[in-house]
Amino acid sequence: MTDVVWSSLTELRRMIGTKEVSPVEVVRAYLERITALDGTLRAFITVSADQALAAARAAEAQLMAGGATGPLHGIPIALKDLFQTRGVRTTGGSRILAESVPEADASVVTRLVDAGAIVLGKLNMHEFAYGPEGLNEHYGDTRNPWDGAETRIAGGSSSGSAVAVAAALCAGALGSDTGGSIRIPASLCGITGLKPTYGRVSRAGVLPLAWSLDHVGPMTRTAADCALLMGSLAGYDAADATSSVLPVPAYTAALSRDVKGLRIGVLRETFVDAAAPDVRTAVEQAAAQFQMLGASVDEVRLEQAGHAAASALAIVAAEALAYHAEWLRTRAGEYQTDVRERLRLGAFVSGLAYVRAQQFRTRLRDAVDALLARRDVLLAPATPITAPRIGEREVTIDGKTVDVRSSLLRFTRPFNLSGHPVCALPCGFTAGRLPIGMQLVGRPFDEVTVLRAADAYQGATDWHTRRPPLS
Amino acid sequence: MTPLTLETLRDCARVAGFRWTDEDLETIRPALERALAMLQDLETLGLSAVEPATQYRIL
Repeated sequence: MTDVVWSSLTELRRMIGTKEVSPVEVVRAYLERITALDGTLRAFITVSADQALAAARAAEAQLMAGGATGPLHGIPIALKDLFQTRGVRTTGGSRILAESVPEADASVVTRLVDAGAIVLGKLNMHEFAYGPEGLNEHYGDTRNPWDGAETRIAGGSSSGSAVAVAAALCAGALGSDTGGSIRIPASLCGITGLKPTYGRVSRAGVLPLAWSLDHVGPMTRTAADCALLMGSLAGYDAADATSSVLPVPAYTAALSRDVKGLRIGVLRETFVDAAAPDVRTAVEQAAAQFQMLGASVDEVRLEQAGHAAASALAIVAAEALAYHAEWLRTRAGEYQTDVRERLRLGAFVSGLAYVRAQQFRTRLRDAVDALLARRDVLLAPATPITAPRIGEREVTIDGKTVDVRSSLLRFTRPFNLSGHPVCALPCGFTAGRLPIGMQLVGRPFDEVTVLRAADAYQGATDWHTRRPPLS
Repeated sequence: MTPLTLETLRDCARVAGFRWTDEDLETIRPALERALAMLQDLETLGLSAVEPATQYRIL
């Protein structure tokens, strides 16, 4: 069953639908792999083996009885441990919520289960999603599967989601993205992740980091699999005040692999030019690949991106503090060190700074919209660097020392502020065999074009098919 | 930018409703000074007349 775990969601759906494999066999294969590998990788906080097997047996019985099945029937997925799950603890990667068992599922969990998905368990993350490294003092640091020595970060905060997908411990996963938490680990672990438009996927029942920046999205091995999951995830939810009423397009049906005439703007200054040389080269080659596929490519500037860090800092610090204030007064010692210190900074963000940051968002959003008025997609590196070692605080880019944390967030957070949809996907490897990621940015609610471009690129390249060196 | 004194940090934290130890405040002081310098950057962008992106909309 080794190959089954490496099948795409799309392929698994076909194999289950034609009874080539049974949901029970598939779930067992993933559970065996989790048992074999997760002691080292630490992608999971909770494995729901019994519930998953029971759901798989029910799915198999339904299939054998010839009953109607959903688009994800029998497909094993896993959830970042900030999606509330009825009867299964939802820790947020924290000690504070270590025994917290919700009474209801998050809206997106309900949607996936209603579509037939089987939840294998809850995935590791940076505590309360407040860190791009994906480190966790309580449940262990998630290890990047591409590093044979197991010394590199997976990226975060959705570290477990990226590692579980990259190491084939599940067929697909859900993550959340406030400053890059889907795209950063996707980039560092060589998988595909989609941060949809703000308002496209419900946040109801998801532990918040910063309400006005939090996005929920799929993390898979291919863009086609992201599209498949989006078909079930997207749509209006009355339980989320920011949920959009716009109709949901047929994401999978739109994957034509045709990008002829697509207009792509490469974000050169402050993005490509600010990346490490091997990242820069890989993204330039990706732009050339798109040209070979028939797209037109030009270079664009997003000057406002240079101020995104200040805006994101004010908003995340203030909103995160608002959520955590009571625990910070009464249980501060239970946070991991870096998260406690970041949360405390929020107490010093003035009302003026918070509103200025929100004013800046308007200007940034307008600037991104202006670039996309004459282009369909923007192309940029997802992260300026590949996976650093655990504990490494600084790295060197073109002879200049840069802070790892700031660097990881640099290219992703502008689009949390602007709310545009972004797909991160692998576009190369370093000489040391570490994945390099790029991101494709689209117009608001035009996930279809972003996914079509990503899928066309993956049809012409094989970066997304490579497997990490796991025993 | 004027360096932050411990007394200022104590006062600000107290106004926000937190009573943190001097050691706690000293720990975050370097990061806080960097953060406040970054936030000052937003004041240079001429944003006064820009409507903030805080309103919820039916999209």
